[in-house]
Amino acid sequence: MMSKLRGAAAVVGIGQTPYYKRGASPHPEIKLALQAIVGACEDAGIDPTDVDGFISYASERNDAQKLMSALGTKEVRFASLAWIHGGGIPGALSIAAMAVATGQANAVVVYRSMAESSTQRLRVMVAQGDTAAQYLVNGLESPAQILALRSQRMIEKHGVPRDTLKAMARATYYHARNNPRAYGRNTVLDDETYDNARLISEPYNLFDCSRENDGACAVLVVSAERARDLPRKPAYILSAPMGTLNGGGALEENIRPYSFAGQVGVATRMWAESGYGPKDVDVAQIYQNMTGMGVGSLIDHGFCTTENAGEFITFDNLIVPGGSLPVNTSGGDLAEGFIHGMGLVAEAVRQIRGDSVNQVPGAKLSLMTGGPGDTMSSTGLLGSEETL
Amino acid sequence: MEYKFEQVKIVGGIGADDEFWRGLERGEFCLPTCASCGTWMWPAHFRCGACGAWEMQWNAIEPRGTIFTWTRSWYAFDRVSERTADVPYVSAVVEIPHAGGARVMGIYEGTDEALRIGVDVVGHILPPSEKTKGYPSIVWRPASSGPVA
Repeated sequence: MMSKLRGAAAVVGIGQTPYYKRGASPHPEIKLALQAIVGACEDAGIDPTDVDGFISYASERNDAQKLMSALGTKEVRFASLAWIHGGGIPGALSIAAMAVATGQANAVVVYRSMAESSTQRLRVMVAQGDTAAQYLVNGLESPAQILALRSQRMIEKHGVPRDTLKAMARATYYHARNNPRAYGRNTVLDDETYDNARLISEPYNLFDCSRENDGACAVLVVSAERARDLPRKPAYILSAPMGTLNGGGALEENIRPYSFAGQVGVATRMWAESGYGPKDVDVAQIYQNMTGMGVGSLIDHGFCTTENAGEFITFDNLIVPGGSLPVNTSGGDLAEGFIHGMGLVAEAVRQIRGDSVNQVPGAKLSLMTGGPGDTMSSTGLLGSEETL
Repeated sequence: MEYKFEQVKIVGGIGADDEFWRGLERGEFCLPTCASCGTWMWPAHFRCGACGAWEMQWNAIEPRGTIFTWTRSWYAFDRVSERTADVPYVSAVVEIPHAGGARVMGIYEGTDEALRIGVDVVGHILPPSEKTKGYPSIVWRPASSGPVA
C-alpha cells in the first residue's frame, strides 16, 4: 500500500560542521547545532528565521527552545524527538515529512549535534543511561560488546561468513579515501591491516567499530511543492517507517529474531510504501555502529540471505565504481566519522543530487538505514523526481 | 553481613527484575511466569502482554541451559572497568529451555573448546563483588566440567 506521505516532502538543504576528534570540538554542542542548521538553510536558499520545525532523535538536548533566539526564529510551529537511539534517524525524516505534508510546519530541520566536552557522550547521549543491570553485572556495557553477541550468533549459528564484516569495513574505508572530510581517509584498509587489527569484542576488531567524533549535521525538509522552487535538486522522501515487530523492543537479548538488525518490519513496510524493492536501489548508506550489524541490515532489507551473504557482501560488490550496491560512499560511520549516524542522511541526499565524492552515476534511489540492533529502528528511501 | 543489591541499584532497562537478584542473594535462580496464564516473562515486566494480568510469580528453577551466544571482551570498557584485570573475559547469553527459552546473561568460565553455541552449561551463583557492581551474579560453566558445586 502506497503511503500518503510518499514523495510529499523532500530534503533541500544539507549542513555539516567539520568532524572533530572526540573531545576536541572548539565549540560547544549548541553552537555546532546552530552552525549545521544555518549551513543547511544557506544550502537550501532559505532564511534561517523561516525555519519553523525542529526534529531530532535519541537524546538530542539542543532543542528548539534553546536554538530559536540565536536563529531569529519567527515562530516555532512544530518540534519533536524520535524516540530510540541511532535507530531513529530515518524515522525523524518521516516526522518532518508528516509535519510539512499536514501543514503543521513549513521548513523543518532534522539535526544531531554531539560534543564530548558538553555531555557524557556514549553513556548518556548514545546509550541514554538505559543499559540494564543484566548487562553491567556481566561485564557488558558498550554497544560494541552487546552487538558482538548478535554478530557472533549470525556467524556461528546462521553461517554468515566472517569475511562479510571485513568486506563492509574495507568498502567503507575505501570510499573515505576520496572524502577530504573523512576522519579515516588516510587509512589504507587492506586484508592484512584488517586481519592484524587488535580485537575489541569478538567477533569485532578495531576496524569493525564506528568512530566517535564531535560535530553536527542538519538537513532541511520542505513540502514537495515548495522544493521544486528551490535551487537544489530535491531528494524526495519516498518512505521512512519506524518501529519494530512483536518480539522486538528493549528485551535484554531476548529479542526474536535475534541475530540480524531488527529491521525486517520497517524494511518490509518501506518497500511496500515506496513501491520499490532491493533490486531497484542504486546506492545505500548503511548505519554501521559495527560492521556485523550492517551485514544484518542488508539481510533484513532483502539484499541477500544468510545463504548467499558471502557472495553478495564482497568488497568489489560494495564499491564505486562497479559494485551492484555501493555502500557508505562518504566513508560512513566507520571511516568518515560518527555524529550518531546523521552524516549518512547528508550523503544519501548528495547521491540524489549527483555531487558525492564517490558518485554512483545517475543514482535515483538512495537508501539510508537507521541504527541496526537498536531497541527499535527505522529505514528510509530517498528518490529523485523521476522515482515519484 | 547482610548485603542488599538495592543499596547499589543500577538504574536502566525495565527494572522489574528485583526478585531475580533477591533470588540470587538467597542462592536461588528464579525466573518469572505470569501468575494468571503461566507464560514465562523475561525480562521481567509489570504486566503480562499475553493475557493482561498484573501479577508475576517467581519460580526457583535449575540453573541449566545452553549457550545461545557469547563474546570475549578484549578491552576494558569504561563502565565495567572493575573487570580490567580479567581482560579478555567471556560474557555469555544462555538459553533456559525449561523457562520458555528465556535468555539469561552471565560470565562464562570454561575451556575455549566448550565455548560454542548450543553447549550445555550449568549456572553457579556468586556472591556480590566489586566486579559485579555489588550484585550477586551467575557464572556459566560447561555441564561436562562437573556437577554443581
